[in-house]
Amino acid sequence: MRTLGRVALYLGLALAAITFIYPFLWMASTTLKPPSEVGTLALWPDHITFDNYRTMWARAPFGRALFNSALVATTITLAVLVFGSMTAYAMARLHFRGRPWLNAVTMAVLLVPGQLTLIPLYTLIVQLGWIDTYAALIVPFLFNATAILMLRQFFLQIPQSLLDSARMDGMGELRILFTIFWPLSRPVLAIVAIVTFMGSWNEVLWPLLVVREQHLMTLPQLLTVFVLGGGAGSIGVSLASAMVLVVPIVVAYAFLQRYFIESMAGAGIKG
Amino acid sequence: MPSVTFDHVYKRFGDTRVIEDFDLTVADGELLVLVGGSGSGKSTILRMLAGLEPVTSGTMRIDNRDVTTLPSRERDVAMVFQDYALYPHMTVRENLSLGLRLRKVPRQEIDRRVEWAGSILELAPLLDRKPKQLSGGQRQRVAMGRAMVREPLVFLFDEPLSNLDAGLRAQMRIEIGALQRRLKTTTVYVTHDQVEAMTLGDRIVVLADGRIQQIGQPIELYRAPVNRFVAGFIGTPQMNFVEGHLGEELGTTMFIADGARVKLARTFPMVSGSSASVTLGVRPEDLLLSTSHSSESPAPDALLGRVVLVERLGGTSHVHCDVGAHRLMASVSHGALPQVGDHVAVRVPSDRVHLFAADGRALP
Repeated sequence: MRTLGRVALYLGLALAAITFIYPFLWMASTTLKPPSEVGTLALWPDHITFDNYRTMWARAPFGRALFNSALVATTITLAVLVFGSMTAYAMARLHFRGRPWLNAVTMAVLLVPGQLTLIPLYTLIVQLGWIDTYAALIVPFLFNATAILMLRQFFLQIPQSLLDSARMDGMGELRILFTIFWPLSRPVLAIVAIVTFMGSWNEVLWPLLVVREQHLMTLPQLLTVFVLGGGAGSIGVSLASAMVLVVPIVVAYAFLQRYFIESMAGAGIKG
Repeated sequence: MPSVTFDHVYKRFGDTRVIEDFDLTVADGELLVLVGGSGSGKSTILRMLAGLEPVTSGTMRIDNRDVTTLPSRERDVAMVFQDYALYPHMTVRENLSLGLRLRKVPRQEIDRRVEWAGSILELAPLLDRKPKQLSGGQRQRVAMGRAMVREPLVFLFDEPLSNLDAGLRAQMRIEIGALQRRLKTTTVYVTHDQVEAMTLGDRIVVLADGRIQQIGQPIELYRAPVNRFVAGFIGTPQMNFVEGHLGEELGTTMFIADGARVKLARTFPMVSGSSASVTLGVRPEDLLLSTSHSSESPAPDALLGRVVLVERLGGTSHVHCDVGAHRLMASVSHGALPQVGDHVAVRVPSDRVHLFAADGRALP
C-alpha cells in the first residue's frame, strides 16, 4: 500500500514538474526551429537552426543591450549589498540618536508602492538632466529598503560577543562589517543579491521612461521595443530574444540556489 | 606596575542605576573575582573596564593611565567571553593571530606567540581547524590563547566556564588558576559561581544591586561575612537562616525563635535584652546531628528536629530537618546517617553562629 502511495505521489509530482517546465523547454527548443516547425508542440526540432538568433542579433543591438543590462544590474546589486549592509549594520548594531526612527522610516518605505514614486522620480531625473544616461538607470536603486531590513534582521542574530571581541582585537566598524559579518551572512547576502539582480535585470518600465537612445537601452527594454514594435517579425525571433534575457538569471540562480534554498528554509526555523 | 583602579565609578542606563560608587584597586598580578547574582552589575563593570560600555561618571586607570574614555583597542586589555566569541569562519591560528596582525606585530613575532600559546594550552594539533570542529573545552582554550598572545596588561574573564559541563568546568578552573599564576597577569574574573570565586580568587568582591557588599580573601568572606547577603552567597551549601530575637536567661544571651532556643557564646550589647528581631545564621557544616528519641529532652544547646530529607552525595550528605517552624540543613560527612522521619538533636555550636540585624548587617 505504501509503495503504491509513493508511486502515486511521484507521478503527481512529475506531472506538476512537467506542467511547469514544458513551456520553458518548448520556448528553448522553438528558438532553434526553422519557421515551418514553430507551430508544433514537439520539444525537439527536426532541423536545428540558429537563424532566429542571427536574425535577432542583426536587427537590433542586443549585444550592447546585454552589456547595458549587465552593467546596470551588477552595479545596483553591488551597491545594494555594500550600502545596504552598511546601513543595516548601523541600524542593528550601533547606538545613535534617532535609530528607532530610522528603523520605522525604512519599514514605512516598504509600504509605498513603486508606481506612486514613479512620476516624482521621473521629474527629478529630468531636472537633474539625467535622461538618457546610465545614472538615471542606476542611481535611484542604489539603496533598497527590503534589502536593508533583511540584512538588519540577520545582523541582529550575530552574537554581541563577536562584535565586542572584534572591537577589542582592534577592528573598526567597517572592518568588522566586511571581515566578520559578511562571511557569516553569506546566505542572506546571496538571497539579497539574487533578488536585487533579478529585479533590476527584469525591470522594463523605468528604462522605458528615462532612456530613449537605443545604445543605452537595457535588454528587456530593447526586447519590448523590438517585439512590440514588430521588429522581430516571427515568433522564433521573439523567443530567441527572450532566451537571451532569461539565461543569465537561470545561470545566476544555479550558482546561488544553495544559499537561496538555505535561507528560505532557515527563515521558517528562525522565525 | 599594571594595577587597575576604579575611582567612584557610576553607571546608569537611562534612569536605571546599574553601578553605584564602585571604588576598587586591583593589585599588580592579582586575580580578583567579581561575584554576584544576575543583575548585580558584575558584567557591566567588566565591560566598562574593557571599553565596551561607557562610564556615566568616575575614572578608571590601568597602570596609572586614565583609560576612562579610551577606545577598547587602546586599553591593552584582553577578554575571554562566556560564549568564547571565536570567529567561526577563521581557523584557530587565524583566531589567535588576528589581534596581533591588526596591531601590525611582525610576522615572526606572531608565529612565536601563537606557537607559545599553542604549546601551553595544548592547541598545537588544532591550529588549522575551525571552531566548530572543536569541543567546548578546546574552544575555551582557544579563547584563552587569543587573550594570551596579545600579552595584555590585564586579562578580563566574563563567566568563561558557564557553558561547560561540570567535569570540564572543574578542570578548566584549575587550568585558568595555574595559567594566571604562571603568567602573573593582573586579572579580573567575573562569575556567578561562588565555587569558582572561592577557588580562583586572590580576593573576591561580592556585588549586589550594583554595590560592593564586601571585599576580601575567600576565607575572610566565608568566616566573617559583613551582611546576610554575603553570608548567604558565599559557601556551599548555603548558610541556614532563622528569624528570631535575642533574650537573656540566667545571665546568658539566648537566641529565641519559634520552637528554637540557642545559647550564644557572647553578648551582643547592641541588641541584648531588647526584642529587636535578628537573624541567626549557621553553616550546614557547623551543625552537629545526633539521633534522639522524642521523649528525651535535648541537651541544653541542642534543638529537637525531625528529618525530612536526606541527600546522599557519597562523601558528604545533606540532612534536612524541621525544627519547629524552621527548616535547617546539616552537612554530615561521617557517622551513621539518620533516616527520613527520625527525630534528631541538632546542636548549634555557640561560637559558630552569625547574627544579623534586621537591616542585614552582621552584628559585631
